[in-house]
Amino acid sequence: MAGEREENGKGFNAFLALAIVIVAGFAFSYLQPQPTVKTYPSREKVIFWHMWTAEWKGVIDKIALRFNESQDKYEVIALSIPSSVADSKFLLAVAGGNPPDVMGQWSPVIPKWAESKLLQPLDGFMTPVEWQYFQKYAYPAAKRIGMYKGKLYGIPSGMNAFACYYMPKQFVDAGLDPNKFPDTLEKLTEIGHKLNRFDDKGNLTRIGFLPSQWPGVGMYAPGYGGGYYDWKNDKLTINTPINLKVLTYLVDERKRLGFDNVLRFESGLNSGSSGSVDWPFISGAYSITLDGQWRVEQLRKFAPDLKYKTAPLPPPAGGPKNYGWTNGNFLIIPKGAKHSKGAWEFIKFWSGIAKPERAAEFYTWGGWIPLFPAEANSPIFKEYVKKNPEFQTFLNVAASEHIYPIPPVPYQVFLSDRIGRYEDLAIRSRLTPQEALEQLDKDIRQELDRRKRYHYND
Amino acid sequence: MIRTKSRRDAFKRLFYHGVLIALSIPFILPLIWMLSTSLKSDSQIYLKGGQASSPVSIKALIPHPVKFSNYPEAMQTVPFGLYLRNTLFLCTMTVLGAVLSSAIVAYGFSRLKFKGRDVLFYVMISTMALPGQVTMIPVFALFRWLGWYGTFLPLIIPAFCGNAFYIFLLKQFFATIPEELSEAARLDGASEWRVFTQVLLPLAKPALATCALFQFLGTWNDFFGPLLYINDPNKYTLAYGLQQFMSSYGGKWASLMAGACIFTVPIIILFFFAQKTFIQGISTTGSKN
Amino acid sequence: MKKNLLGYAFLSPWLIGFLVFTLIPFVVSIYLSFTRYEVVTSPVWVGTANYGEMFSRDPIFWKALVITLKYAAVAVPLGTVAGVGLALLLNADIRGMSVYRTLFFIPSIVPMVATSVVFIWILNPQIGLVNGILKKFGVVGPAWLADPKYAFWSLVMMGLWSVGGSMIIYLAGLKDVPPHLYEAAMIDGASSFQRLRHVTLPMITPVIFFNLVMGVIGAFQYFTQAYIMTSGGPEDSTMFYALYLFNRAWRYLDMGYASAMAWVLFIVIMICTGLIFKSQKKWVHYGG
Repeated sequence: MAGEREENGKGFNAFLALAIVIVAGFAFSYLQPQPTVKTYPSREKVIFWHMWTAEWKGVIDKIALRFNESQDKYEVIALSIPSSVADSKFLLAVAGGNPPDVMGQWSPVIPKWAESKLLQPLDGFMTPVEWQYFQKYAYPAAKRIGMYKGKLYGIPSGMNAFACYYMPKQFVDAGLDPNKFPDTLEKLTEIGHKLNRFDDKGNLTRIGFLPSQWPGVGMYAPGYGGGYYDWKNDKLTINTPINLKVLTYLVDERKRLGFDNVLRFESGLNSGSSGSVDWPFISGAYSITLDGQWRVEQLRKFAPDLKYKTAPLPPPAGGPKNYGWTNGNFLIIPKGAKHSKGAWEFIKFWSGIAKPERAAEFYTWGGWIPLFPAEANSPIFKEYVKKNPEFQTFLNVAASEHIYPIPPVPYQVFLSDRIGRYEDLAIRSRLTPQEALEQLDKDIRQELDRRKRYHYND
Repeated sequence: MIRTKSRRDAFKRLFYHGVLIALSIPFILPLIWMLSTSLKSDSQIYLKGGQASSPVSIKALIPHPVKFSNYPEAMQTVPFGLYLRNTLFLCTMTVLGAVLSSAIVAYGFSRLKFKGRDVLFYVMISTMALPGQVTMIPVFALFRWLGWYGTFLPLIIPAFCGNAFYIFLLKQFFATIPEELSEAARLDGASEWRVFTQVLLPLAKPALATCALFQFLGTWNDFFGPLLYINDPNKYTLAYGLQQFMSSYGGKWASLMAGACIFTVPIIILFFFAQKTFIQGISTTGSKN
Repeated sequence: MKKNLLGYAFLSPWLIGFLVFTLIPFVVSIYLSFTRYEVVTSPVWVGTANYGEMFSRDPIFWKALVITLKYAAVAVPLGTVAGVGLALLLNADIRGMSVYRTLFFIPSIVPMVATSVVFIWILNPQIGLVNGILKKFGVVGPAWLADPKYAFWSLVMMGLWSVGGSMIIYLAGLKDVPPHLYEAAMIDGASSFQRLRHVTLPMITPVIFFNLVMGVIGAFQYFTQAYIMTSGGPEDSTMFYALYLFNRAWRYLDMGYASAMAWVLFIVIMICTGLIFKSQKKWVHYGG
């Protein structure tokens, strides 16, 4: 049989190939220009880790630069870490005794990390005047995000607010008044039905309004005065009539269109995650959609000609005008940070506790909701709102007393996971809403029992 | 030599090619999609209706217009040259370390007899059975205590201590080399080390090349290691750069795929030229066909 | 005596690494499995509480274990047959073989981040390649990664796509088969199928053995794709053991419990590989 003839001498081919690739690679790499970064070697270095990428990373770098230029004691060095591994890297660094001095986070971690003594309470860094100011003026939701058991562990550096975006043209086409957005949830649902469109095979081609799957109950229940947490009395409230009503509403709306139908329709759209032109709302796939305030900035950049309007999510009849769910980015100082004073100066600078007018500018760069009314009312921010009038809707929502983040319990991630799981099972019709809430309640009780067995102090 | 009719031969060959091509389609199709997407411009990917385009037609697979600039653009969004250098440095060190040390250890396990050999071998295998998540903290603490946090050392030194995967692989390969060759050398008065370097290593080139390639690939693709132990952006690697790139440009398919292709191409080139070593057989009796 | 010293001398690189980088962390993690440990605070001894919780009060633990066992039982045999089969096909002396080999190998070297994106796209229920092809045959494809009945199998498919990695090892093994054995068989008048059964396959059993053991160890620790692509969903249908472990360790900060989980997995893996090792004598043929 004819074979490929190989002599032993050619056996070095693999190693030769390896060597060539390596040398060629080195040579090629020097053809690229080296990036240069300005540094201040004599200052105290404050290490700042965060998870922002793409255009937001640029914003963070700008903020850090401004801070460095505004004083001469500290130098903030910002490091962007991919979000999928940021938590492990951070936890390991703290465990190993080498934590960053300040970190920008957005996952629901404050209660757990505070309980595990990973974070330093920030109110300890504030002067009494600053603490008073914060308590008096910070938006209620911002306080709820950052606090745990009466102490402040995270200063929100950008809260999120959610409201409805809608297409006036589609309203007009359906014979509705585009300037009169429905003022009750019931009316909104009805209009949503009217605006659905199907093709001749029964597949969806446009969704009028579909209450989102996540956040589900947490977003709509405050409109009824309910939710998973009773903030006045610091208690979890899971299997309640209000929650059942809301969950049933979410399930029924989706059942109406057909879970599979919606799934296929939505998977055919772009993800909307790149923050550029691929948000499906832009193409008219949704007449009305609930989304966050950062879309305003995106639309301004990537779809400036789009004719759209915004309105707060209407409550059920008799409910509060601005309500809903929120989350946000916040800055934390881990235990063991070597330059915590510098970290605090940076946090103060960014959040505007000391100088709100100066900090207001940063919020316009990121399209974030500011922390204090003083920032929202500053000239710079007012200018920004003038250019983006729809942003005002979100400011109104953010200032409301009735928006709530995830319940501040130490097992917050566990709770959040379970809520998502059971709401998902209900929406997929694997469980009835009643069963879902009962099982969720049961799971949480089991977790609480477990914590007792393990001697956690709750 | 057995002669076959040339026409039957040609038919067999054609059939063979047919089978191979048919089998390769499910493997290639995703790759073709990757490549074609990387050369598309955003206008072709995001059709006007907000609907992502349907790729099931030959026309949809062809970029139109062809946007080669996706590639240089992707290379400029991260410090490509710097990352490449760091990656190559790590690859070189780990390949050297892993292949050399694993070969030495594998020789010990396969060609020498001594007390506790099989037990230790089994222990070595068992070290691969524990999920790394739970040893991460003690290992991290150890490296910190050694003062290696923030350097490349945690990524390089362990490679010189042998790698269970390669040791196992090489042991299996060494076992296929006839004992007589080693015996002959020993009878000639060679020390065990000489037997190893002059008899076994040359004959095991395909296996050694396989290990080298896998280690190169492993280090090239490893982003978690550098991420964990390095905080200086000047020391980061291509894999880390790609990860950042992917999370930055979530929906920009074209750039994403261009980045992934750039990342993969050097390995493809390496493998294509390194193949010959795998297909070299051991001519134990010196007879050639 | 001298033989022992020589043996250990050759083993020394591994022995040193083992003692310094492996043994201590292993022992520490066994200790941690008997504690309540939240990564930053000191571990608190709780005895066998973690193990008790795991076995009697954690349905997700069992679900994850079953899913992982299922994966090992399916993916390892499939991967072995596919890998050996491809290697045999690609071992022939036909022009262009190096191109084919490269083509089959490339999927296994594409970085995981990219592979995930590619497959999420390809398996998209509405506009993905797979459902599009099925549509041409008049079949409505399932929702793949979004369907609890199909998500698991989607991941199995993805795993098979990267079979090129083990194929390479089989190729190297095939090339190691001494030609004189083939010559002897042909002189004896053996057909190519008989040559396959009596020369080729037995001679590559050491390599098959290797890939089998590594395959089992890898299958039980399957993690990355599930983490990136499905996060264990939909409806926990892809909640692999290693993924659940990761969640408990890094998201719920339950490192003690995660350590206990890790050691249970360790025992399971050791039992399986132990069985494979024991069976060596029956079917693995060390030539030479």
